[in-house]
Amino acid sequence: MSKKKGIINWFRRLLFPGKELKELADQQLNEKKEEKQVTEKDVIEITSPGKQVAQKFFRNKLAVGALIVVFLMFCFVIFAPKFMKNYSDSYTEITQKNVPPTLTMMSVPKKLQSEGIKSIDGYGSFSIGLSNAGNVYIWGATQINTTGIDIGDIPEEVQNANILYVAAGVDHCIAIDDQGKIYGWGNNRMGQYGYSEEAENDPSVVVMPQELHENGIPNVNDIKKVACGWQCTAILMNDGTLYIWGNMHTYANLEKFVDKQGLVDIDFTLNYIVGLDKKGQTIFSGLRKMYEDVREDTVMGSTTKIKEFVKAHGKKIVGIEATSNSVVLIMKDGTLGFVGDLPLEAVGMPKLEEGEYFLPETLSAGTYHITGITNKGNVYSWGGNHFGQASVPKKVAAMKVDETYKIFTGAFQNYLVDGQGKLIEKWGLNGYIFGTDTYGADQFQRIANGGLMTMTIGAVAVIIEIIIGIIIGCIAGYCGGWVDILLMRIAEVVGNIPLLPFALALSALLAQVNMSATMRIFILMCIIGVLSWTGIAYMLRAQILLARESEYVLAAKSMGVRETRIAVKHILPNVLSVILVQITLGFASCMLTESSMSYLGFGVSYPQPTWGNMLNAATNSTVIKNYWWQWVFTSLFLSITTVCINTVGDALRDALDPKSSSKE
Amino acid sequence: MGKYIIKRLLYVFVVLILLTFILYNVYSLVPQNRAYTDAKTEVNSMKNMLKPEELNAKFDELYLKYQRLYGTDTNNKIVRYLRWVGVWPFYDGHCNGLLQGNFGYSWEERADVITVIGEPMKNTLFLNLFVTVIALGVTIPLGIHCAVKRGSVLDKTVQVVTIIGHSLPIFIFCIFFIFIFCSLLGWLPPSGMKTPGSNYTGWKWFWDRVYYMILPIITLTFSSLAYMTRLTRTAMLDALSMDCIRTARAKGVRERTVIYSHAWRNALIPIITVVIGWFLGLFGGSMITESMFALNGMGTLFLKSMRTADYDVIMLIECFYVFIGLVGNLITDLVYGLVDPRVRVNK
Repeated sequence: MSKKKGIINWFRRLLFPGKELKELADQQLNEKKEEKQVTEKDVIEITSPGKQVAQKFFRNKLAVGALIVVFLMFCFVIFAPKFMKNYSDSYTEITQKNVPPTLTMMSVPKKLQSEGIKSIDGYGSFSIGLSNAGNVYIWGATQINTTGIDIGDIPEEVQNANILYVAAGVDHCIAIDDQGKIYGWGNNRMGQYGYSEEAENDPSVVVMPQELHENGIPNVNDIKKVACGWQCTAILMNDGTLYIWGNMHTYANLEKFVDKQGLVDIDFTLNYIVGLDKKGQTIFSGLRKMYEDVREDTVMGSTTKIKEFVKAHGKKIVGIEATSNSVVLIMKDGTLGFVGDLPLEAVGMPKLEEGEYFLPETLSAGTYHITGITNKGNVYSWGGNHFGQASVPKKVAAMKVDETYKIFTGAFQNYLVDGQGKLIEKWGLNGYIFGTDTYGADQFQRIANGGLMTMTIGAVAVIIEIIIGIIIGCIAGYCGGWVDILLMRIAEVVGNIPLLPFALALSALLAQVNMSATMRIFILMCIIGVLSWTGIAYMLRAQILLARESEYVLAAKSMGVRETRIAVKHILPNVLSVILVQITLGFASCMLTESSMSYLGFGVSYPQPTWGNMLNAATNSTVIKNYWWQWVFTSLFLSITTVCINTVGDALRDALDPKSSSKE
Repeated sequence: MGKYIIKRLLYVFVVLILLTFILYNVYSLVPQNRAYTDAKTEVNSMKNMLKPEELNAKFDELYLKYQRLYGTDTNNKIVRYLRWVGVWPFYDGHCNGLLQGNFGYSWEERADVITVIGEPMKNTLFLNLFVTVIALGVTIPLGIHCAVKRGSVLDKTVQVVTIIGHSLPIFIFCIFFIFIFCSLLGWLPPSGMKTPGSNYTGWKWFWDRVYYMILPIITLTFSSLAYMTRLTRTAMLDALSMDCIRTARAKGVRERTVIYSHAWRNALIPIITVVIGWFLGLFGGSMITESMFALNGMGTLFLKSMRTADYDVIMLIECFYVFIGLVGNLITDLVYGLVDPRVRVNK
């Protein structure tokens, strides 16, 4: 009890002027008052050392600003990840790779809205829209990787033509005008559209049929569906003729479709093309045993064989919609069946009332989600909900829409459009504030989570460093003699080990040992901490030596105060300032060491983000030049944090140094 | 003085032995057994000629032979270490270690470590010398100027810029400079040592080399500016507040003389000691820069060896770093005694 009180008292005296001191001051003041009239100026306010330091520190505006920034940064990395419920370290999304910072993925152009929306399509990071007036609009992230192609530059001839059909792939667009002429723009390296010599000579490319790019579609009104996939395009006619061309590497079964006749529907998953023939008994993919097991619900439930399923539900499939990994079967009796997988966090299919079914033509699938309108006028979205694309807004969920309403889906977006082509509501992904990385993960989320990791490593490493430093420095300084010599020699040996090379080598060695990622990170912290304690040990030792030699300690000794009491009450307050400064500066330098190691690939490794290994992507000039967002934001966060921590540390040192005030 | 030097040398020697012993033992934890692999390969090549029982016997025999050859026929760590240094004889009675010029064998390059390490070391030296000269040429005048004109706009700007420079990791400078000079302006090559496919000699070779080295040199210089400028400024400030300066000024000595003759000489003492340590520290510090710019230097070699687990090379480079650090300390101590007559090192 008394010990506890003692500690509290100690802090109180550090931060607030002691009672005794105040009494002393009052006494002196009274004495002075008795002598002569005193003005307010003569009153010397007595402040405790702690308060003095605080005052001095807060007078430094730069330091206060830096402190606020550091505090905000702490709050950001601690609290921001809590709000990212669907964040996971190893999240990858191939269609969203290297997307620049944008929040315009759902910004349907005003002109398109005023002209009336006819259709919207999207597969990758941009969406294409067609107005009732036959004009084409593009929005979203339109820069195509490193090619320098901006898909937002719609060719002039397309702008002049009266377009009837549009479709968007991952890096190209297709538009067909009322004359049947086919326009394509974007990346044409794999023959996604039009004819090119490069594509002609590439064995992995199915080139666009010659008569198509020369004469166009013979009968425009006969087009049933225009669809684009990953570097691949398909045009399906009413009579079952299929024109298909593109990259065989992205769709392994592309060849099976080249001369295929008699299809009534076609769509693209991520890896396969799926078709539906007139009989409607099974999904045509050209591959055996690909789409066999059907479920009635997207997420849960047992599977039945496709033959039995078809038999049970109207004996015919009338349409298909493909997401990235699954295919939706629209049956003749209005029920839906699902083949394939949806992401783990997917929202299940809604329970429909008796007699309620989805209108087949309104059903539309994005990359992971499906949206549709039922015959009773309800709008439902379900499936992958990583970007909120399967969460129907309350306004839409509450309203009853009539049969003229249409749903269009982009990759992760939904647009609800009424009969006149007016945009009623949109929901889903509107973009990434800091862009995405090479794996397609949101940089903002990774920066928040990586910051937490970087700061945790820095903090734990500095705590280890400080603890070892305090113990060794104190023992050496206090005991003196041969203990001092021995400990300081050890410190010198450790201090002579080059920090970065040795830490890298140790980390590389440990990488060969089989252990969990958390354990490895903990060991990394220990390595950094154990290799960098020497500075603080030296400083503490010097401070303690100074304090030991001072008069007041001598006085205390001569008064017979116990050794431990001297150490705690007289010496510790003196060295506390050194420790405080070292914690601040050491924290920044530990963060930097960790970042350097992770940057070189020997610290924390990939799925786990840290600010260092996120910058690892920027090791070549192509990335540095073309994907500036992949390094600018991360380095800004890292730089601002370390600069501010160092500024605070420097200001603290100045404030704690009694001599510094005379220098200023 | 002589006694002091000997004492320091002895001390450095002891620390060196201690550190190399620690390093050696750390690296001997690596699960690699050269004798085993060699014996296995040789036995495998004889597979068709011998029967299985004979094969086993042959393997044991070869394994022992190679263990004796490589000095791993004992589990005694100290003996192994001493053999590595070259003061304990191998099985055949001869010493074959560092002292005899056997620096190990690089598995990756299939060559002796010493030949692998030669060219990179030359390049690193070239780079670091350049950086030192340029950095000192910039920082010292800047530091003096800031100290003399303390509180001026320039001084405050430099203070802010240097704290930024001091707090940023070097790879951010690398990325930033590559972005500016290579991507935006297109003036300089982003990586490499020479124009690909070129075979220049003489001056042409030199200028080509310089052209490719400009960016690494700028980056390294810039990142080391902060520390040196701050140091020079503080040292100059301390020197300027000395009594002798006040006396000199009171006597009417010209300000220029006061600064460059009286104050600068006093400020030189801490600067010199730090410069030496800093120059030697560059060897370890240029690792990231080298790997970023794909320069064939020690740092790149070190990182590459670590990726390929080429531990003989790592060991030697690590020892080199330790050695450089210790020599740096020694030189610092000695020079400190030389330039500052007040420091009595004879004790």
